[in-house]
Order: sequence, then structure tokens, then C-alpha cells
Amino acid sequence: MAASTNQELVSKKYAKRSQMAEIWRNLKKNKGAIIGLVIVVLLVIMAIGAPLFLDYQKDIVSQNVSQRLQPPSFQHLFGTDHVGRDIFARVIWGARYSLPIGIVAVIVAVILGVTLGAVAGYYGGVVENVLMRFGDIFASIPHILLAIVVVSVLGQSTINLMIAVGVTSTPAFIRVSRAAVLTVRNQEYIEAARAIGMKDWQIILKHILPNALSPIVVQVTLRVGSAIISASSLCFLGLGIPAPAPEWGAMLSEGRKYIRDYSYMTLFPGLAIMITVLALNMLGDGLRDAMDPKMKR
Amino acid sequence: MHRYIIKRLLMLIPVLICVSFVIYFIMDLAPGDPALIIAGDQATDEMIEKVREDYGFNDPLIIRYANYMKGLLKGDMGSSYVSKKDVWETYCQRFPATAKLSVAAIIVSLVLSLILGVYSAVNQNTWKDNVSVVLALLGLSMPQFWLGLLLIIAFALNLGWFPSGGDLGGWRSLVLPAITIGTNNAALMTRTTRSSMLDVIRQDYLCTARAKGVSEKKVIMHHALRNALIPIITIAGVQFAYILGGAVLVETVFAWPGVGRLTVDSINMRDIPMVTGCVVITTMIVCVVQLLVDILYAYVDPRIKAQYTK
Repeated sequence: MAASTNQELVSKKYAKRSQMAEIWRNLKKNKGAIIGLVIVVLLVIMAIGAPLFLDYQKDIVSQNVSQRLQPPSFQHLFGTDHVGRDIFARVIWGARYSLPIGIVAVIVAVILGVTLGAVAGYYGGVVENVLMRFGDIFASIPHILLAIVVVSVLGQSTINLMIAVGVTSTPAFIRVSRAAVLTVRNQEYIEAARAIGMKDWQIILKHILPNALSPIVVQVTLRVGSAIISASSLCFLGLGIPAPAPEWGAMLSEGRKYIRDYSYMTLFPGLAIMITVLALNMLGDGLRDAMDPKMKR
Repeated sequence: MHRYIIKRLLMLIPVLICVSFVIYFIMDLAPGDPALIIAGDQATDEMIEKVREDYGFNDPLIIRYANYMKGLLKGDMGSSYVSKKDVWETYCQRFPATAKLSVAAIIVSLVLSLILGVYSAVNQNTWKDNVSVVLALLGLSMPQFWLGLLLIIAFALNLGWFPSGGDLGGWRSLVLPAITIGTNNAALMTRTTRSSMLDVIRQDYLCTARAKGVSEKKVIMHHALRNALIPIITIAGVQFAYILGGAVLVETVFAWPGVGRLTVDSINMRDIPMVTGCVVITTMIVCVVQLLVDILYAYVDPRIKAQYTK
């Protein structure tokens, strides 16, 4: 009797633990990951909530020359720029550019990369060879150069920036998803699915991808950070979103002209990029450890 | 081993053909008429038409690309639309500056990452380890161009120790850009060094070495690090190739006259032969450096050499 209750307790304890719950339980133990998660959530709230407190025309882009180049003070926490715009407000509004650009760019890369990688891994042979060589060729062109070429062809706009950064992040996803698919391709349940007559695309979507998901999810979190850096780099080079949008990289590029006497103009937008990317990296590292306990050290 | 190297070099050919075609094709789609750039601002319609005729802009894309490749096979990469200079010569003029910067940067990152990575692996899970891990994470999250600007503010404008840009101050002008690129790469390499060291640090042969009475320093530096070196070399090689290929941002921040800047300027000017030439040479360098890294493995790890000769 006692044994059976014990068994019941144990099975009760583990029955409710889905994979998601298990990952969350592991993630909670990691202080860095939780700090990262909290910062990311705050940034998202800041990006969504900014229009409640700030008016794009009045607070973000309208020039006020009488207030130009004021150092940080209580009135202007981060100071004002060369045409008198409040840098604090612009940095906050900047999250509305950087976060969506990073996320959408990675979504583009996931759609392209995972499709190609899954097809390569599933079919193998000539298809795999051609796709992987294609990926290698793209990967051997330095990312930033490729992104610059793509933006200069498509023209400067937010959407094109997302596409350029997304395309350049694609090879990484091709490689990761191919490797992940390879690990499950020869399992018996895939053979079973084939035996009951499922179509290839159904097998890939329903059976292979869900089981190959965790390395892809980890890659996504880590790549959003580097996509944000790439996008702001392009804006810094003057190839991103046209002025006067308060994109962080573009603000740095403006601040650079006044670096000798008004260095605070370059300080805060860069700090914003760093905190965002740092939070995403901390969360990504934590997720990787939580999803794959073997990786944990 | 020789056969392996020759095979890899031969594989370069299709890669370069594809890269050149992709870039040529993409640049062709770019808005802006190169004939207008070549003919200049004051050109009449007839002059522009003549330029189109002379440069073959009226031919279909595939013919133009074929002509370009014909030249390339003879070792002629064409000449710039803007400066009219030979592409290969212009690249070669700019390359030494980039090479110098790349070597300095990779030395900075190797030194930083080996020290931090080994230190943090040896002190795993102590506060020393945590500090190094956080430092590496910070370095990884910092945009290169911002770090460059911060260094300029601190060491060029405030302290005046180093010049803020250009390549005229001898080794002093090299310091800040090399540290900027080096720190960023060091962050990535520190993480690799740490995890690679942790892989070997608990292995039995280290215990054996200690039992034999080998000093702890020698155990770590000689027995452990040497076996942990393969992933570190891989990352270092890839990073080195990328810096050689175009540290565009750092070259911009520090007004460094290297090939990264050259490429970006040519892209902005729609200078198709220059852009294609730069990207093709860069890709070639990236691939050759990667091959060299693969050959280097064989010297670090005899097991891999055995695989090559198979």
C-alpha cells in the first residue's frame, strides 16, 4: 500500500511536467538568464508603451535650437542633441526600431534558413550538397559587406534593413537546422510516419521540426542580439533608416560629429544597444543551458 | 596532405565564380546609372550614350558578366568606373593597412582570450570565473563602432595618448583600432577557450601528469591547453579572415585607409568592377585563411593529420 502511494506521488510529480515546464524550471535557477529576461520584458514594454508618454512629432523629431547641446540634467536626463532634441526620449523611442528590426530580421532568417536546412537534412544526397555549398558560399562573404550590398540595392528603409540583416543571418540557421534534422531523421518514428503514407512536407513539419526545435530556439535568441548590432551598424554607416528617425546607430553617427566637446551624445545610444544585446545574450545562454542540461557547466 | 590541399584549392574555383556572379548580378540591380557616374555631371546625352557603348552597358547582363570573367581569367579585374585605376592595384595599395590592423587585432584577442579563458576555466565556478564570464559577455554585446568611439573619447581626446584616427602616427595609430577589434573578438574567443579547457581539464591524463609530479603550471599550459587548442584555432582563424575581409566599421570610425573602407565607398559609388573585385578577393582571402587553419590543425593534432593522409 505504502509503495503504491509512493509511486502515485512520483508519477503525479512528473506527470504534470511538460517539456516547457522543465525548461522554465531550469531557467529559473539561472540568475543571469532571469535578469536578461526581465530586461528584455522591460524593453518590450518600453517600446510598446512609448507613444503613451511621448509624441513622435513633438518630442522625438521637432527641433528646438534654443535648447541645443545641453549636457545631462534633471530636465534632460541624457542631455540634448545638436538640434535640441531630448536624447532620453529619443533613446526610449529607439527601442521601437531596434527591437522589431532584430526580431523581424531573425524571423526572415528562420523562415529561409530552417526551410533550406530542413530540406537539406531530410533529403540528403545531391539536394543537401547543393544547398550546403550554396550556404557556404554566402557564409564566406563577410556579413557586413553582404548586408551593405543588399541595402544599397534595395534602398534605405526599415523593411529593407530587416531583409538585409535577415538574409545575412540565414546561413547560420541553415547549418543549425540541418544538423538538428540529421539527428532525428533516421529515428524509427519517422520511418513509421513514412510507412503510414505521410507526405514528406507533413513529416518535416509535424515530426521532424518539433523534435529538432531546441537548438533553433537557442540560435534565435542569440541571433536577435547580433541582428540588432548589425542593423545599428548599417545605420551608423548611414545605410539604414533615413533621418530623423531615432535609431540608436544613426544617433551614434550624429553624435560622432560632436564627439570632441559633447561626448554624452555618443554615450547613451551605445549604452542602450549594449544593454539590449547583453540582456538577449544572457537570456540566450540561459535558454541553451536550460534546454540542454548536457551543455551546462 | 598535398592532395587534400590541392583538392581544397580547386574547390575555390566554383566558390569564386558563384560569388562574383552573385555580386555582379546584385550590383546590376542597384539603382543609379554607372554611365552617368563615368561621364560626369556635365555630360551631354550623346556623351553618356557613348560611354554606354564603350563600356558595353547596352549588352545583356550575361554578356557583360562573361566579358568580365574573360578578363578575370587573364588576371585582369578591370578598372574602377570612378578613379579609372586598375582594381587589383588599388586593392593591393589598400591591403597592407588592413593586414597590419588584422594582425595586431588578432594578437590582442589571442592574448586577452587565452589569459581570461584559461584563468576562468582553472577557477571554474568561483567569483573569478564569474567575473571573466561577465567580461566576455559584455565584450560580445558591445557594438564595435561604439567601443571605438569610447576609446577615442578616453584615450585620444581626453588623455591624448594615441591619435584618434588615420594611419600616420606609426604604431601609436594602430593601438586603438587594434584594441577595438581585438576586444570584440576576444570576447568570443574567451568563451571558446573556457569551454574547450573545461572539456579537457577533468580528463584522466591530467591526473596522471600531476601524479608524476609535473608542476600545476606545466599541467595547465602544456598538457591541458595544447589539447584544448583546436576549437580556439578555428575561431581565431575565422575571426582573422573576417577582419582581413573588411573591418568596415572600425576602419570608418578610425578613418583607417584599408580595404573595408574601399569596398563601402565603391558600393556607394556603384563602382561595379571595384565592388566585385573587392568582394571576390576578400572571399578568396577568407577561404585561403580557412584552409591554412585546417592545415594548422594537422600540426597541432597528429590525429587529424592521419585523417588527411587517408
